[in-house]
Amino acid sequence: MKQIALYGKGGIGKSTTSANLSAALSGMGLDIMQIGCDPKHDSTRMLTHGKWIPTVLDLVREKGNQDLSVEEIVFKGYNNIRCVEAGGPEPGVGCAGRGIIATFQLLERLDAMYGDVILYDVLGDVVCGGFAMPMREGYAQEVYLVTSGELMSLYAANNICKAISRLSKRVRNKCTLGGVICNSANIANERELVEEFARRINSSLVAYIPRDRIVQIAEVNKQTVIEYAPESGQAAVYRRLAECIFNNKNMSVPTPLETDELESLALEYIEI
Amino acid sequence: MNSNPLHLNTSRFEGCTVTGALSVSAFVNDAVSIVHGPAGCSHLNMNLFHTTLLQHNTFRFFDIITSGMDENDVIFGGEKALKESITTALERSPKAIFVISTCIPETIGDDILQICAEDRGVPVIPIKSSGFLGGSFNEGYESALTALLELAEPQERHDGGVNIVGEKNLEFEVEENFLEVERLLSALNLDVNVRFVRDVDTNDIRNFCKGDLNVIRDDQTGNLTRHFEKTTGIPSVGSFPTGPGNTIKFLMRVGDVCGVDSRDAVQEEFALQEELVADFSDLRGETITFDSFGFQNTDALIFDEVARLIGIRVDDSGTVIPVPMGMPVGTTGLRHMLKQWRRFIHA
Repeated sequence: MKQIALYGKGGIGKSTTSANLSAALSGMGLDIMQIGCDPKHDSTRMLTHGKWIPTVLDLVREKGNQDLSVEEIVFKGYNNIRCVEAGGPEPGVGCAGRGIIATFQLLERLDAMYGDVILYDVLGDVVCGGFAMPMREGYAQEVYLVTSGELMSLYAANNICKAISRLSKRVRNKCTLGGVICNSANIANERELVEEFARRINSSLVAYIPRDRIVQIAEVNKQTVIEYAPESGQAAVYRRLAECIFNNKNMSVPTPLETDELESLALEYIEI
Repeated sequence: MNSNPLHLNTSRFEGCTVTGALSVSAFVNDAVSIVHGPAGCSHLNMNLFHTTLLQHNTFRFFDIITSGMDENDVIFGGEKALKESITTALERSPKAIFVISTCIPETIGDDILQICAEDRGVPVIPIKSSGFLGGSFNEGYESALTALLELAEPQERHDGGVNIVGEKNLEFEVEENFLEVERLLSALNLDVNVRFVRDVDTNDIRNFCKGDLNVIRDDQTGNLTRHFEKTTGIPSVGSFPTGPGNTIKFLMRVGDVCGVDSRDAVQEEFALQEELVADFSDLRGETITFDSFGFQNTDALIFDEVARLIGIRVDDSGTVIPVPMGMPVGTTGLRHMLKQWRRFIHA
């Protein structure tokens, strides 16, 4: 079983990339599970045709965590991909990070974590130990950073490198960096910049996803691009990404950059 | 208690703010104290209070309840658990409810002040505590005294009474210490207005501002003196008197503040101290030394003063006298302490 996690700045396209990646992987005949680890709980929405599935933590809140069954928290979406949304507390109260940990414990107890690939789609940044959970305890062994060429997005990606590199010092750590996915924001020299960033953090660019209207069109039709426009060039990009990730053997321990290093890198590639 | 302010030490010897706060709030007869946090925080303190008082030959259970936070309360916020525990507390028809927070709700950011602010017909008073996050025993003790002062109502006039503030309800000689201070005050023809806080009703606290002087048990930081001055205008004497000289000074200071002639009281006290010297004349010429066992506050000056008064020599070669857990209060306290010294010297 392969377990991968997608991390990146909020709004960068993690969920779109995750859903299309899951759809493409399932198209390879694989059994896929996607777990959304974000209180916004919209990770799997394109896989369930726009349906908001109840989140694990909503159910825990209503029923307690003793009487929940797998059927109540795992939902089959496109191509039988098993979808889970961790969810979280109401904004402004409680501890969402602890909620992620509780979700994982519950899924473990229910033996719900299985398949050929489990894909974790995680909140914008590693804000606390709870959101690092997918990287810990041997869950996701490969982390992919989703970023555009924007400085803030690279900054977030770099921060996640710090988390991976810190975790890699632990004796039982299995988490490594699988690579960088550039989700284009249509910036000049973007591909070159992200490629160079990936190289400097001791990794590599595994895919460049161009910006394409078809993504938005599929989205308003509440489907992934893979489902809505399987013949499109964009679908082919996602399928290539899926194959690349599934066969990827190039794992590394990242070497995060210092902030000024990162800023001067961005300066080198920006068009003035 | 101990004089080493390192966190490692305070946490081992003194416990957290919850213990300090409860050592005050639990001694309001008609109130309930809620410990907002996991059940263990409340349980351990109940245990501590129960066993400590048993050692003082007092069998007592306190009106302390827990909000019993569990994992789900951590994830979704503990505010619901706190509200439920306030409802439970209200069922006991208390005259006041005190809310003491532990580390957990403060870590996840429960809005305790907002919940306490809701009108329930009974004052629900939050005590700034936050478990170990908020510091150690003394911070909780001070916070509780400050918070409970909210129950005091403004008064037209002062009636010449003295407020006894911050008695250490868990110390062994708490009652004896009070009686000694009461004796000294009565020598000045002064009455006790309220014991803030030891076995009083909420209504007694309302009369706090009738007092025209506070005698604080032990205000090492000066925080309480400043707070009472600022909020009630009532001046404070910052500690119970310890040692022969301090006991005399105490009488003079209290007399000054309350506008009472202290000369007679001072003469009487000198006479009592002379009596003490006579009663312990068998110890004259003995040699002693003190041992604090590494953690007690050794205010050696006072012990040296007492030794000089009786005619005892202090030298490392002398009989080892353990420093008492609490400093002796007034002349009566000295008498108790000297009896102890005698036991060690003649052992």
